[in-house]
Amino acid sequence: MHVTVEIAGEDTHELEVDADATYGDLLAPVDLSPHEVSVLVDGEHMPTDQPVEHDHVRVVRLIKGG
Amino acid sequence: MECDKCGENAVLHAAYSGLHLCESHLCRAVTKRVRRRIREDGLVSDDATVEDPETWVIGLSGGKDSVVLTQILHDTFAEDPRIELVALSIHEGIEGYRDASLEACEELTDDLGIEHVTVSYAEEFGVQMDDVVEDDPEGMAACAYCGVFRRDLLSKYAEELDADKLLTGHNLDDEAETALMNFLEGDISQIAKHFEASLGPFDSSADAPTEQTREAQDHHIPRAKPLRDIPEKEVALYARFQDLPAHITECPHAEEAYRGEIQELMLGLEENHPGTRHSIMAGYEKLAALAADTYGGENGDTDYGECENCGAPTARDLCRKCNLLDALEAV
Repeated sequence: MHVTVEIAGEDTHELEVDADATYGDLLAPVDLSPHEVSVLVDGEHMPTDQPVEHDHVRVVRLIKGG
Repeated sequence: MECDKCGENAVLHAAYSGLHLCESHLCRAVTKRVRRRIREDGLVSDDATVEDPETWVIGLSGGKDSVVLTQILHDTFAEDPRIELVALSIHEGIEGYRDASLEACEELTDDLGIEHVTVSYAEEFGVQMDDVVEDDPEGMAACAYCGVFRRDLLSKYAEELDADKLLTGHNLDDEAETALMNFLEGDISQIAKHFEASLGPFDSSADAPTEQTREAQDHHIPRAKPLRDIPEKEVALYARFQDLPAHITECPHAEEAYRGEIQELMLGLEENHPGTRHSIMAGYEKLAALAADTYGGENGDTDYGECENCGAPTARDLCRKCNLLDALEAV
């Protein structure tokens, strides 16, 4: 499955992932931890263990200093 | 995926608990755990009464952690006449960074009706962090200078505001990183100090994480970290979902290389072994209580007096802040 991963304010990546990949599986290839970001589809936050159902996601960094 | 509590769309999978939570139940869970921590640590003293309330000073930077802490403390204690909240912000003199986060502090404290005091390195010490970074007389990271200056002002103004406790927004990730760093550095007396200064419960109760309580200190206002059970990501999501005016830009001088290494290690472990951060802290708190029993209180090797220059509590003739200011003056 082809997925476009847009990292808010940064780069956009094109990934090929397995059909049963989860939203969390999109993060390791772009060198991000699920504990520092949230994955959004159409503005909605997705649990990282949810299977990918959309071909475009937006990733926002949640952690940038206290 | 559905929220395990209500069936709405889940926004988070908390792998350490296995729960899927929606916006509303995530926020409720965060608030509940902060209140439980306040209760377990015995933060509300029996001496706090309507006639003689306690003053809690909150270190408010305008970042997500301190903004969330301030909001939850307000929601919990606004109607409780035993507790008075005051927010204390510090302007370090970092162009394009702190001005925006202080706006967030002002917006929040105005909305909540909380007294807000701002002090600056420029007015207090005659220095700005942007210049300190340029001069760097000790060859240290910016955070090493800034941490000394910040702790000095937080303590000084907490004292001036007649605070009974000083509360900061350290979250689970911050505390587990500090625990790992202290452990890997083999610094048992630092672990004891961590317990006595901010981790140890004020009162022993059946709910407290350790039977041992912290020793009363007369050299520093006691500190507490009510967010220390909440993973950093959940604090950030709470701020977003509650639409709080939190400022999330990273400090342009941030370069704590070792902490960054530890963070990467810890988040990697958490991903492969969910619950690692919680178990680090559960064990560390018990170890820290034992360390405090041996190295803390009257058994400690630290004999606090007053800085010859500024009067701040220190074990040396001159406190660390005055030493650094002298070094900057000499540049």
